[in-house]
Amino acid sequence: MSHSETRTTCGRRGFLKVAVVAGAGVAVLPGLVRGQAPSVKVGVIHPVTGPLAEPGQACRLGAQMAADAINASGGVRALGGAKLELVLGDTQSKPDVGRTEAERVINQGAQLLMGSFDSGSTAAMVPVAQQRRVPFLVDIAAADPITANVAKAVKDGQQKVQYVYRNFPTGSSFGKKAVLYFSEIFKEAGVSPKRVVLMYCNDLFGQNNAKGFQAAHAAAKPSWEIVDVIPWPEPPQDLSTEVSRAKAAKPDVIAPITRPASAQILLPEIRKQRVDIMGVVGPGSPGLYEAGQIAVLKEDLEYVLASIPWANFKLPRTQQVAEEYQKRSAGKTFDTNSGYSYDGMLLITDFLERAKSTDPDAIVAAMKKTNYTNGLMQYGGPIVFNEIGDNPNAITTMIQILGQKPVAVWPKEAAVQKFVFPRPKA
Amino acid sequence: MATPFDNPTLVLQSLLSGLLFGGVYSLMAVGLTLIFGVMRVVNFAHGDMMVWGMYLAWMLATRLGIDPYLGFVCCAAALFVLGLVVQRSLVDRILDAPHEMQILLMLGVALVLENAALVAFGPDPRRVRSSLGASTLWLGPVFVDVPRLVTFLVAMGLTLALYFFLTRTDLGRSMRAAADNPYGALVIGTDVRRVYAIAFGIGAACVGAAGALVSPILPFQPAGGLALAVTSFNIVIIGGMGSLPGAFLGGLLVSVAESLGAVFLSPSMKELVSFSLLVLILLVRPAGLFGKTVA
Repeated sequence: MSHSETRTTCGRRGFLKVAVVAGAGVAVLPGLVRGQAPSVKVGVIHPVTGPLAEPGQACRLGAQMAADAINASGGVRALGGAKLELVLGDTQSKPDVGRTEAERVINQGAQLLMGSFDSGSTAAMVPVAQQRRVPFLVDIAAADPITANVAKAVKDGQQKVQYVYRNFPTGSSFGKKAVLYFSEIFKEAGVSPKRVVLMYCNDLFGQNNAKGFQAAHAAAKPSWEIVDVIPWPEPPQDLSTEVSRAKAAKPDVIAPITRPASAQILLPEIRKQRVDIMGVVGPGSPGLYEAGQIAVLKEDLEYVLASIPWANFKLPRTQQVAEEYQKRSAGKTFDTNSGYSYDGMLLITDFLERAKSTDPDAIVAAMKKTNYTNGLMQYGGPIVFNEIGDNPNAITTMIQILGQKPVAVWPKEAAVQKFVFPRPKA
Repeated sequence: MATPFDNPTLVLQSLLSGLLFGGVYSLMAVGLTLIFGVMRVVNFAHGDMMVWGMYLAWMLATRLGIDPYLGFVCCAAALFVLGLVVQRSLVDRILDAPHEMQILLMLGVALVLENAALVAFGPDPRRVRSSLGASTLWLGPVFVDVPRLVTFLVAMGLTLALYFFLTRTDLGRSMRAAADNPYGALVIGTDVRRVYAIAFGIGAACVGAAGALVSPILPFQPAGGLALAVTSFNIVIIGGMGSLPGAFLGGLLVSVAESLGAVFLSPSMKELVSFSLLVLILLVRPAGLFGKTVA
């Protein structure tokens, strides 16, 4: 009897124990089966092949490193530690491919989009993001219409919600800062160059930035003049005539808006033709600071100034990431491209933390209220988005190649070294 | 408003720069026109073969310290072998196929070459540093870029050598025979398959040499092939498809036209000038400047 009682008692207690354990198991198991928490798929699209492959691959590596760091530190906490899963895309440096890649990554489940370096491809991705209601963070692309057109469509009632936001200086803000820095540096150096020749690559990015620079110059009315404007088809096969034309304008300063390949033709040509100038000062473009460019152009890049978005190397965290980036990229500098893509991924995590959901409209609501201060780049304030969807605090820094290294030289609060202008005579 | 005529130095400099850079264009086009002239196959992988010539020159310069102005011979030899292999293994199979199939095959070869370069060398634009790279000669107010002058002279030399090879040697004559009438050449005992393979190899060698010679002038990256192929194709049509003198002079003409276009119009419209030239030639003389009209 006692045996039987014991069995009965044990059976009841045992049942309760099993029930409790099973109940807990039912609650926990799905999570275990799904790998702790569902992941959030982020479509990350850059030009990793084609003429823009070099900066495109830098962007991709920056995004991957940020995602790795976020996942290693617990993922998106508000979503139960959900990991960021990157769905990678390649625009092949072609705008039409940018659009089809955006469609592909969304079809593969991307819940957010980030990209895409090149203004043309980015502009082609925008309608896809709007149609498919996928929040799209533009990590790099300067052409103003990318966000402005969507903001206008929403304002005019043609579209309900703006899904496209940008954390990068626009072409017009590049221009304003460049004109300001030019004037400030000339004044600080105690020189007064009068004649500036603007040269630019004639693609969407180059046109937009050249236009921004000219408009800012017209508005600011500084003491120097833009005496000639010389565009070239990108990529160029020869720039000797363009440089001859610039030389004929008797410039004090050449202000080039380049791409990596065109910078490699332009700068040696300026030296060969012995254009007598105080310096080359870029209003903002790739090609004038990357490690690969310095390795090829060597002394032709020395003393070149460029007003570009730049990493805040005064932050210890930026230095750490830059060191890791150097290891993972076989010796490249953590710069504009890798840096803004890195910050893009940090921002996406911030949106998700605050949205507490992957619902597109909840994410957009969080994007609009962004006030983020943990970015690695040099900003003029917290990352916020204005009514157009741009971050007005995404600013440029004047950097200069000194001792074959790019260093921040202006404005004073960002400078880590004093600039050299005019450049020493050869 | 000042016009370019107010600045004769600028016009003269552009003319000279255009003429010398034309040497690069000519070298690019000579190989393409040879392959087309002999086999009637348009080598759309031409630009990518040139890019490989550039990378080989870069490897020779960085690993072995060989200046591209000497290393171009090795690059030409390597590309000759590549051309031979591509012809024997691929092109030979589609010689009688419709043109669109030939184009697709060559575009496929171009894609493989481009992406192989991307995997092997990465995406960064590169440029070979040469001892001559920075040399200039000054003739009063205008300057002569020595690398371009050398390229121009080598292009002229190679075109002449190729011309004499085709007209004065047995193998060259066999090539012309195979080009004129492959069946007839076969009947008189010419090994047409061998001749085709050698012609393709020589065409590739020309572009390999061109690549090496321009590697100190033009930066290159894996994706640069298509633009080079399109420029070469444009020049070959203007000069007359299959004509060596046509390719050489076409190269000079296109380059000078682009250079002057950059002075008299906007520089970003200079490609418009060269393609307008193409349209004009097709309207006025569809066979090209030196092309033979097919009856």
